[in-house]
Amino acid sequence: MSQTEEGDAVDLAEGIDHQVAMVMDLNKCIGCQTCTIACKTNWTDGGGREYMYWNNVETKPGSGYPRDWEEMGGGWESDEHAERSPGDLPSEEDYGRPWEFNHQQVMFEGSDEPLRPMENAEWGPNWEEDEGAGEYPNSYYFYLPRICNHCTHPSCVEACPRSALYKREEDGIVLVDQDRCRGYRYCVEGCPYKKVYYNAMKKTSEKCIFCYPRIEGEGPDGEVKPPSCAADCPPQLRMVGYLDDEEGPIHKLVNEYGAAVRLHPEYRTEPNVYYIPPFAPPQHSDAGESLDAERIPRNYLEELFGPEVNEALNTIERERNRVERGEESELMEMLTTTDTADQYRLEVFDDG
Amino acid sequence: MSNQQETDDTTPDDFSTGRRNFLKGLGAAAAVGATGTGLADDLFAMDGLEVVDDPIGSYPYRDWEDLYREQWDWDSTARSTHSVNCTGSCSWEVYVRNGQVWRESQAADYPQFDESLPDPNPRGCQKGACYSDYVNADHRVLHPLRRTGQRGEGKWKRISWDEALTEIAEEVVDTVQEERYDAISGFTPIPAMSPVSFASGSRLVNLLGGVSHSFYDWYSDLPPGQPITWGTQTDNAESADWYNADYLIAWGSNVNVTRIPDAKYFLEAAYNGTKRVGIFTDYSQTAIHCDEWLGPEPGSDTALALGMARTIVDEGLYDEAHLKEQSDMPLLVREDTGKFLRASEVEGLSVDADRPDQMFVMVDGNGDLRVAPGSLGERDGQHDDSLSIELDFDPQLAVDRTVPTADGDAPVRSVWVNLNEELSNYTPEYVQETTGVGRETHQEIAREFGEAERAKIIHGKGVNDWYHNDLGNRAIQLLLTLTGNLGRQGTGLDHYVGQEKIWTFHGWKVLSFPTGNVRAVPTTLWTYYHCDVLDNADPETTARVEEAVERDWMPVYPAERDDGSRPDPSVLFMWRGNYFNQAKGNVAIEEQLWPKLDLVVDINFRMDSSALYSDIVLPTASHYEKHDLSMTDMHTYVHPFTPAVEPLGESKTDWQIFRELAAKIQEVATERGVEPIPDRQFDREIDLQSVHDDYVRDWETDEEGALAEDRAAAEFILEHSEESNPDGTDEQITFDDTVEQPQRLLEAGDHWTSDIEDGEAYTPWKRYVQEKNPWPTFTGRQQYYIDHDWFLDLGEALPTHKDSPTLQDKADYPLRYNTPHGRWSIHSTWRDSEKMLRLQRGEPTVYLNPDDMDERGIEDGDTVRIYNDLGEVEVMAKRYPSSEPGTARMYFAWERFQFPDRNNFNSLVPLYMKPTQLVQYPEDTGEHLHFFPNYWGPTGVNSDVRVDVEKVGDGEADGGEN
Repeated sequence: MSQTEEGDAVDLAEGIDHQVAMVMDLNKCIGCQTCTIACKTNWTDGGGREYMYWNNVETKPGSGYPRDWEEMGGGWESDEHAERSPGDLPSEEDYGRPWEFNHQQVMFEGSDEPLRPMENAEWGPNWEEDEGAGEYPNSYYFYLPRICNHCTHPSCVEACPRSALYKREEDGIVLVDQDRCRGYRYCVEGCPYKKVYYNAMKKTSEKCIFCYPRIEGEGPDGEVKPPSCAADCPPQLRMVGYLDDEEGPIHKLVNEYGAAVRLHPEYRTEPNVYYIPPFAPPQHSDAGESLDAERIPRNYLEELFGPEVNEALNTIERERNRVERGEESELMEMLTTTDTADQYRLEVFDDG
Repeated sequence: MSNQQETDDTTPDDFSTGRRNFLKGLGAAAAVGATGTGLADDLFAMDGLEVVDDPIGSYPYRDWEDLYREQWDWDSTARSTHSVNCTGSCSWEVYVRNGQVWRESQAADYPQFDESLPDPNPRGCQKGACYSDYVNADHRVLHPLRRTGQRGEGKWKRISWDEALTEIAEEVVDTVQEERYDAISGFTPIPAMSPVSFASGSRLVNLLGGVSHSFYDWYSDLPPGQPITWGTQTDNAESADWYNADYLIAWGSNVNVTRIPDAKYFLEAAYNGTKRVGIFTDYSQTAIHCDEWLGPEPGSDTALALGMARTIVDEGLYDEAHLKEQSDMPLLVREDTGKFLRASEVEGLSVDADRPDQMFVMVDGNGDLRVAPGSLGERDGQHDDSLSIELDFDPQLAVDRTVPTADGDAPVRSVWVNLNEELSNYTPEYVQETTGVGRETHQEIAREFGEAERAKIIHGKGVNDWYHNDLGNRAIQLLLTLTGNLGRQGTGLDHYVGQEKIWTFHGWKVLSFPTGNVRAVPTTLWTYYHCDVLDNADPETTARVEEAVERDWMPVYPAERDDGSRPDPSVLFMWRGNYFNQAKGNVAIEEQLWPKLDLVVDINFRMDSSALYSDIVLPTASHYEKHDLSMTDMHTYVHPFTPAVEPLGESKTDWQIFRELAAKIQEVATERGVEPIPDRQFDREIDLQSVHDDYVRDWETDEEGALAEDRAAAEFILEHSEESNPDGTDEQITFDDTVEQPQRLLEAGDHWTSDIEDGEAYTPWKRYVQEKNPWPTFTGRQQYYIDHDWFLDLGEALPTHKDSPTLQDKADYPLRYNTPHGRWSIHSTWRDSEKMLRLQRGEPTVYLNPDDMDERGIEDGDTVRIYNDLGEVEVMAKRYPSSEPGTARMYFAWERFQFPDRNNFNSLVPLYMKPTQLVQYPEDTGEHLHFFPNYWGPTGVNSDVRVDVEKVGDGEADGGEN
């Protein structure tokens, strides 16, 4: 694990100078998918990428995107990162097909068909939106935004027999070399988060690039911008920076407070995307009374985020209570976007 | 791609065969977990590729990375926004590449005015983030179209602009010449979302003597309880003020879905010590992020609010000083008549007022009768800042006694005593039984609310779309008045549904209605009337509607003629709105109203349902192709639309279109020698021979031709509004300023209830609560007791819980039908967007509780029929465990053409309305309540409807029977 000991430097993958990282606050995720669209209009709007959502948001509990990705294996067998766990390749149906519609016929050509997907819609990337689990009035659900985790031990990289995936030295971003890739899809199988996608038109695999042209300031305006998914998020639930920037909020949230935790740490790839776990209003009794009982079962959250989620939730509750009593809390201040610019620390290293 | 030759045979397009062949070719063992070293060596040998020692960190072949860098590229950007009725008003940067709009991103440069609040940036949502798709979309109307088939068939002929405008102009000239100008209607909602476009058609309709339609009441966005109690259509804090509250209740307002750009203030309040309570019938998308959720039975919110009020009163948590000074609680009411005791009735009470019969009475600490200051009897009209309601005595709240009058002693009680009697009905047992909310829980929430320093309620459509919405509003407002949570930062009742008004009010008004004589109509009543609902409504409702029209409480156009006849409406212009799709009583509108219309014209960039059911469709510029302004009551900024690209195809901006239509009307009228026609209602003549010249003339300066262009019209609005060009200062916001950066408005004019102050979020009601101006009500106070005859007849003098009217029997139609605002559209805009549909299910769905599904043998994804006595629609069933059993929830605004039978979500909803919303008050003079578009008028409610759902059998779906 790359958690630091007190005073130690942050563990990064060997050979990596700095590691980009993101913290997503699930208590601010409203499932609006502005991130999804921002990513899509930037990178995956055509050319065989229509079905891809490098950034997606799924309702949890739920089978997600691609369907049942959590049951498809991948990742590592042990913390030694020597042997990979076998993984499955999702089918096209598991992702959902990018439906085409009959606008022209209905609007301008006198068709009496309804406007509908031209093929039967049976599954899609957000099919289980708002569904969740449990029974009224004690049902529960929350939204989980996901991008590539740009892992410290990326099993996708290891899976590629052509070494067409790599992790960038300067920032730890994991990329698929579009010249070298031949679309074998070992990486798709090997990634336990199913965040590499096969482009059947290009015959290569593609994935979230952490918007490296944006964070490099490579646009015509020369401005360093955070990834689209973060920049365009209306509640600004994402913080972007470097895990090894010890002055930054990400390092503090992850390593000092333990308030931000990894999704499925048992896959052992050591993601560099972290989550502030969700809380929820308490359950109701049959007589409509609020009970002193948590709505989201703790064991479900442990299943998603590992046992560390308990400490994270306790810490957040403790700090919320402090603020309620009128005391100061650095943690609560970090989670508040008093200045949007503070969410992003991308220009902290001279060599970065 | 550098190498093509070697492995193409193992990577065919199709996933499934690709995987099969691939594994066959290379060996399954390699694919599932081996490190693949040997395999890699083989491939490198085949390929001549360089070996990579360690792809973690030292990858040598990175030139290809320019591939994605080249995609992060554009030629120019422009600032614009979206003209949609969502209250978002989010400033966007539009990126243009190769002459086409590529994508957009939030401009995120609203200046922050209070650094103790969360950053206002970025404002936007997923829909705004893909408006660019509409600019180049399949649904784009590119040329003027005339229908060749039936209305709605989607069969069109492309015609020239000249043909289109000539056809319309001739119909208009005919209609005006025949003095049926009030049969010409213009429907366009929400000026704030694009006031120049709003004004474009409104200005022409005004010059023609036509009818301008209300929208805020029609859409049931207007909370009638606010004009009733506070004498104001609505006034809200900007959303930043949510963060200032210590206690926040989201009551039927699903902010995480319907206020995406503002949700941050609600979410982050959690980190600022604020408790957030959600009151929703379902465990909604906002409830999930609350600290406590209450789930009342649908339609029982009034009982819950009154139960909470009872707790606040019983436990002494009310703000006595606020009630005495700011509310009608100390005023005396005669027990014999139910009317307020008027000062003129009291023997020996000296009254210094012009109209002592409109002055009210309190009892002071000594038991002496005192005249309450600030009532209508001493005011100069509804708004009069020259008086104060501040008291120089301490009135008693609880009074129950007799008062000497000319007719002898009259028994009186204070409103407070009457209210206490009403509240005594809402026992914890009753509340639990009626609402399902726990006895302890609702009292605890009331207690916390009463004890909070700054408590606020965000109030939404979930509680406003009911027949008895006025009672619900008044009950929920009461919680704030009781606790004195008004007129300070972090308090108040913020009702965000639609945009009732515009910051730059004056400039917009004189641009839209240059003659100053507006033939405005309450759209609910107009629609109801012309759909012939009066013939079918219950006799009492019909009698009251007829009485209200007869007494001129509410106008209906065309006006009744001298011979007692009333023509049908005949020409309808629609722009910036989708009246036909969004109308309650959809069946009646199609069957009754539509055939009465000789000419229906829709001005649109896309083929929505209103366009599809029109005779002529005119292609308008998209939101990225024009100049305009954008504002909202969710924030205090103004920012612009500017063109990123030229209008696509033959489209023109709204301003251009109506200006050119005006020119064509002038041309036709001049050819025919049409003389000016005296207006039958206003002191003016309708002169078609000068209508274009009048259209482009600046009526404020009389400069000819000054307003030919959109941008000049936008500048005109800024120049003529107090908010952007305050009197007596050098400060002024110009259009150029807004292009540079969104500008915070400078002052708030008379149609607001507080000032805009530096460094503070706007919060309403300060002029009354802090400055002690009389509230614009009959009594000059927040008025919970309404002594209008109709209110007394119906037992609604005070807020009280009433059951929904029975539109359908529960036995026949066991499910409540609810059509809330959803995440994926702003009304019907984006309902047909491919990007949005791909993130839903591609077609309309209904959210059902799993128990209701099981009972009916319905599974997730099944096609189901939702039906009642009015109609039926076919949709896909979606499992939603967070739905209360017994409800069918269809997020609304699907277009008619998204249903197999061209019915829609409104086909199951009748046109109905509550007659108390037609009144004038006081009955004879109406200063407190009188028809004013979007201020007071009947609301087009829709939530009392019941339905049932059944599975559509195999082979029956898609098309079905009718």
